[in-house]
Amino acid sequence: MVPEGVVALLEILLFPGFLFLIALAFFYEWVDRKLLAKLQNRYGPLYTGPSGLLQPFADFIKLLSKEDITPKAADKFMFSCAPLFLLSFPLLALFLVPVAGLKALISFEGDLIFLMFLFTLIAVTVFIAGWSSVSRFSTVGGVRAAFQMLGYEIPMTLVMVGPAIAARTLSISQIVGWQTHNAAWFIWFQPIGFAIFVLCLLAELEFIPFDIPEAATEIVAGWSTEYSGRKLALIRLGKDVELVLAASLITSLFLGGPNSSLPILAIGFFLLKTTLAVVLLTTLRALFARFRIDQMIAGAWKYVIPLAILQMVLIQLGFGR
Amino acid sequence: MGLLKWGRTKSPWIIHFNTGGCNACDIEVVAALMPRYDIERFGIIIRGSPRHADVLVVTGPVTRQVKDRLVRIYEQVPEPKSVIAVGSCAISGAPFADCYNVYGGIDTVIPVDVYVPGCPPKPEAIINGIVKLIEKLKAG
Ligand code: SF4
Repeated sequence: MVPEGVVALLEILLFPGFLFLIALAFFYEWVDRKLLAKLQNRYGPLYTGPSGLLQPFADFIKLLSKEDITPKAADKFMFSCAPLFLLSFPLLALFLVPVAGLKALISFEGDLIFLMFLFTLIAVTVFIAGWSSVSRFSTVGGVRAAFQMLGYEIPMTLVMVGPAIAARTLSISQIVGWQTHNAAWFIWFQPIGFAIFVLCLLAELEFIPFDIPEAATEIVAGWSTEYSGRKLALIRLGKDVELVLAASLITSLFLGGPNSSLPILAIGFFLLKTTLAVVLLTTLRALFARFRIDQMIAGAWKYVIPLAILQMVLIQLGFGR
Repeated sequence: MGLLKWGRTKSPWIIHFNTGGCNACDIEVVAALMPRYDIERFGIIIRGSPRHADVLVVTGPVTRQVKDRLVRIYEQVPEPKSVIAVGSCAISGAPFADCYNVYGGIDTVIPVDVYVPGCPPKPEAIINGIVKLIEKLKAG
């Protein structure tokens, strides 16, 4: 028998740990770009590997090898730390989500709250990244990211608690377990919650209707304007991992997660459902045009938060489970 | 071919800068990015910030007004970087060469790797220029 420590280490490093998640991140960036191109009547990446499959990897390698510029005026320490955090927070959050089987690598009662905390930290780190670059474009981008967080944070937290109330647990693994046990998905019980969750994830990922903090046509490249080379590579990888995180959260909170305790079946279901989630996010991103920051915040407070509260009330009245 | 060189040739990201041309070249550059030609096939995407880019695509002659800014943007692109001069203006100043406020082509100010002639060049010509650049990257 292999000792338990080795198995745990392999789980963290290879599967379903770092290596698998990062490979998945590159794969979903490819799915996202390819589908976006298809929807815009283009081909998308085509010649890098089979149908451009290796494109995100090539981008990553190239960025790693480029010159790494730190602006003179920047706050050097925070400027260098922010990309590391932007990669490690989503990776850590992914460890809380069940991938192969019904149990996540790390799972404890209350990990849903911890995950919400990590989501907030990601947004705050984006703000710090923009602020510490001390360039007017990144500052504006960072402030917009912080503002945007004020808009989507509260409805997202509210609808993430919805499945938790219905399943009477604050652990993501057990929410998945509840859905498997009762053979029921929360998307059928809480459709409003699902719609709001997808909307807020679009904002969290800075996808097009809410790419206000990046806004290439207004503020150069937003909060990441001053980043180059290795740091930009980490930021981009972090964004991809965040996409995986978003897709796997949609999967485990609303689509029943990896619906089986058999590893092979579980991973198959997980991949299928997360791919569907990525397709949904990408389609939405291709459909819309960018909002202004005031429209986004006003819309969130006027319409999205009341709807989220309505969903909570419905759950309390017994319609959500 | 090493992994690094493979990465570099497969994902040249561009930043597009007009130094004072008539705007026709810019429209052709944008046409190369659009569905009909779609240079994202080769892994090329247009970036807003010079810090993210590898290739500086310049259209138009260098005017007195823009010279410092062109040099500044060139310096902000991280190494290794390349420059493509698109259009006759960017090569020699073409119709504007004799103007009191024009220095001439881009290469009077910054080093240029690939020249794409035409007034304006077709998107096919621009793609051909990019292919030449990629071959140059492969060789060097
Ligand atoms: S080369 Fe011709 S088309 Fe291009 S900017 Fe100059 S004048 Fe305009």
